[in-house]
Amino acid sequence: MTTRPAQIVAFGGGGFSMEAGNPLLDDYVLSLTGAERPRVCFVPTASGDADHYVVRFYRTFAATCATSHVSLFRRDRSGAVQGDLARHLLAQDLIYVGGGSVVSLLGAWRAHGLDRVLRAAWRKGVVLCGLSAGSLCWFAEAVTAFHGAPRVVRGLGLLPYSNCVHYDGEPERRAEYRRFVGDGVRPGYAADDGAALHFVGRGLHAVVSSRPRARAYHVAPVDGAVVETPLETRYLGAAVPDLAVAG
Amino acid sequence: MGEPTILALGGGGFTMEPDNPALDEFALSLTDAREPRVLFLPTASGDPAAQITAFYARFGRRCTATHLSLFRRHGADRSLAEIVLAQDLIYVGGGSMRNLLAIWAAHGLDELLREAWRRGIPLAGLSAGAMCWFEGGVTRSGGPPEVIRGLGLLPGSFSVHADGEPERLPVWLAAVRRGELPGGWAADDGVGLLFSGTRHVRTVASRPGTGALRADAVGGELVRRRIEPELLNAGVRPRDRPIPDEIAALRALRAELRRGRR
Repeated sequence: MTTRPAQIVAFGGGGFSMEAGNPLLDDYVLSLTGAERPRVCFVPTASGDADHYVVRFYRTFAATCATSHVSLFRRDRSGAVQGDLARHLLAQDLIYVGGGSVVSLLGAWRAHGLDRVLRAAWRKGVVLCGLSAGSLCWFAEAVTAFHGAPRVVRGLGLLPYSNCVHYDGEPERRAEYRRFVGDGVRPGYAADDGAALHFVGRGLHAVVSSRPRARAYHVAPVDGAVVETPLETRYLGAAVPDLAVAG
Repeated sequence: MGEPTILALGGGGFTMEPDNPALDEFALSLTDAREPRVLFLPTASGDPAAQITAFYARFGRRCTATHLSLFRRHGADRSLAEIVLAQDLIYVGGGSMRNLLAIWAAHGLDELLREAWRRGIPLAGLSAGAMCWFEGGVTRSGGPPEVIRGLGLLPGSFSVHADGEPERLPVWLAAVRRGELPGGWAADDGVGLLFSGTRHVRTVASRPGTGALRADAVGGELVRRRIEPELLNAGVRPRDRPIPDEIAALRALRAELRRGRR
């Protein structure tokens, strides 16, 4: 048995939740599994296990993957995984975490011990991916603006950086994130809607996008000022001439 | 601002009794406001659309009704404190008590609700949304019933759906007997316990034939006492009400009248 590397793909936004008809980011994460018919489990905790969201997941993946979903709210019904959740998650090729509130997500995961299970799955080489809250959760610190002013919350810390999502979609986030990093939040990565940060182990391996203009950035203090460095981003669609900005 | 007030329902209200508004009317009677600001917290079920719709159907016309989602974004700039502390009544839905408490704690909502309670904003809720106010209860968050700690605003434990989900009751009684949970109350669906401060002051019911139970461990043995609820008849005061045929209802009515005279 070959050992698989630990991998996380963190979307600034995008995939089936946000880009109906654009499968580029979802196809990218599926390709990382190397499986012909990947076992993909959806974790919609951040949305409160919203039914319509679960349905969209199955509609997107059920034809090509062995699909399942976890529900922490409706364990009795709804066709979610029953029984030993840890064993089920550790047997997946890909765990896909949906968007919503990262604060609610982390609270519920910790109450159910899912934080430990996901860490173990990551170490074992199960590919972890997600958008929005499903991106923020993997990092040590995450910028969230769910109720009231943006604030920083502590994530699972698999990736020892900070993270900010929807970087282009919500303009106030940009200024807030830079201010936070200036005020002592650890350096990290910001991603536009349609851009995804692919980490192998704890290191950034690649940045890919489902939209030609989507970008990701490294944000860190340099000589007392917060510097935002654009990262080279590979557009996953047809090779339209699009000048990636080198970091 | 009045005395801290909690209405804990064993089950019932708009999510479980769409055709019977008695318990919700009773909850509204706890506030003096003419057009009460009522906030619904559907956290324990993950903010499902069906519960939220049912809430507005029941309260939307007569109240300034809003719900607070901890999963979907409002776009509101108001902080949680501003939202919660501006209400006349806060109503908590049922679902997973473990998720409810974990998510509230993550958002700091547990402390805000404690503050709202101290300020005299009445808190109402059913199932997980009722047990959460006590020191503990019996949850089915993980499938089989198990003991769970609550926020501890009210002393004692609370077990819900005593008639509708009978598998909870023995788990609760055993936990009380062993001292794993403090003594407390169990309530049927349709039964509400009203607390003023930390004192249990009334037991009300939306349907006849229901009841509540008080259980305590005394020297390792259980001491149980059945509590007959007052049957609510929304909008009609007990004396004006026609005498019901149902014997349980009649008893409840008599009890209510006796209490009223005292």
